[in-house]
Amino acid sequence: MDACDEERLTELLPRLRRFARSLAGDAAGADDLVQATLERALRHWRSRRADDALQPWLFAILYRQFVDDSRRAARWQRVLALFAPQQEAQAPSAERVHDGRAQLAAFARLPAEQRALLLLVAVEGFSYREAADTLGLPLGTVMSRLSRARDRLRALGEGQGGATPALRILK
Amino acid sequence: MNRPHDDELHALVDGRVDAARAAELEAWLQAHPEQAARVTGWKHDAEALRAAWAGIEAVPPDVAALQRARHRLGRRRRARLGMAAACVLALGLGGTLGWQLREVQLVHERPPMADAVAAYRLFAADAAPLEFDGGGRAALQGWLRTHFGAAGEVPDLRSQGFDLRGGRLLSTPEGAAAMLVYQDAGGARIGLYLRPRNARIGQGERRDGRLLAQYWSEGTASFALVGPATQANMRRLAPLLRGAG
Repeated sequence: MDACDEERLTELLPRLRRFARSLAGDAAGADDLVQATLERALRHWRSRRADDALQPWLFAILYRQFVDDSRRAARWQRVLALFAPQQEAQAPSAERVHDGRAQLAAFARLPAEQRALLLLVAVEGFSYREAADTLGLPLGTVMSRLSRARDRLRALGEGQGGATPALRILK
Repeated sequence: MNRPHDDELHALVDGRVDAARAAELEAWLQAHPEQAARVTGWKHDAEALRAAWAGIEAVPPDVAALQRARHRLGRRRRARLGMAAACVLALGLGGTLGWQLREVQLVHERPPMADAVAAYRLFAADAAPLEFDGGGRAALQGWLRTHFGAAGEVPDLRSQGFDLRGGRLLSTPEGAAAMLVYQDAGGARIGLYLRPRNARIGQGERRDGRLLAQYWSEGTASFALVGPATQANMRRLAPLLRGAG
């Protein structure tokens, strides 16, 4: 890894963190995710094909890390449930909403895989192909998931009522 | 126009259809207000998402995260090295496997004969002045004998097409070293490097950029023959030198 790589990596850090924030429920979780991603990226830096774009590669590592962590957390929850059957499964961490903004609140209530896809496509401007590669999905799944995610986000937004202030004025 | 597939409407929202098709789709939507409302809703949500997440980008890049990652990686690597060292102890002094492992670890730390390659780059690769020129062979020979005893022979490679151009005296943490520079009729330069023997240097070769270093040890000295990897006859030379040294 040379100075030029380092610079590009540093440039991508805010975006990487944003992606992590969209997946993890809270800032600390997101920071851990970025940290783990960077370690994995540095470890596998040499195995990266030079012509692969850096951003999708990093985002794919982060997403895999997130999925692995979630599986581990789910297993842990099941283990806990064996010892304390009365304990309720923890509310999805995403319910701990990032901040007060209605849009983010609705977004946070989407399942993680829909959040990841919407962030890549709508915010990061990934092509559908890049998003498919990053999330490890076939292109067809990306399209159907995108459709579900948008309908769901729409429904959540409208349910909250605050998303379209113009309509309130008309009422 | 038939009803477009939802995939295409999403592509419209994401700006992934060409201008001509976009115009067609927009025209169709004008005639189908219900679908138009869906698409407008998606667009609105996408814009709102961009706006909501834009603020997060303003956070300055957490460069420290990168440094932490590197630091932790280094620590883990050192821990692995420590573990390897413990394995060596556990395997006992006679364990060849343990010994090899240690060697692998050490080699990983610093490539063997890195000093030889560095010396070649300094003195042989470009025509840096040498302390002894071809004519000073006797003086060079005398000096090498002092430091390397019987191993300090200046090999004659003329039969292989290489003339001695000179030599350069160097030093390493373990003691004196020397680089002898040879050149063939085509101007290609190779260097024979002598240094005090070091436990980690066995016999082998490695590529370093465009250079090839072949190295071996004999008695109390270690040798490396360094030159451009394209010099095919270098591979012929090393066995000859090993036999003679």
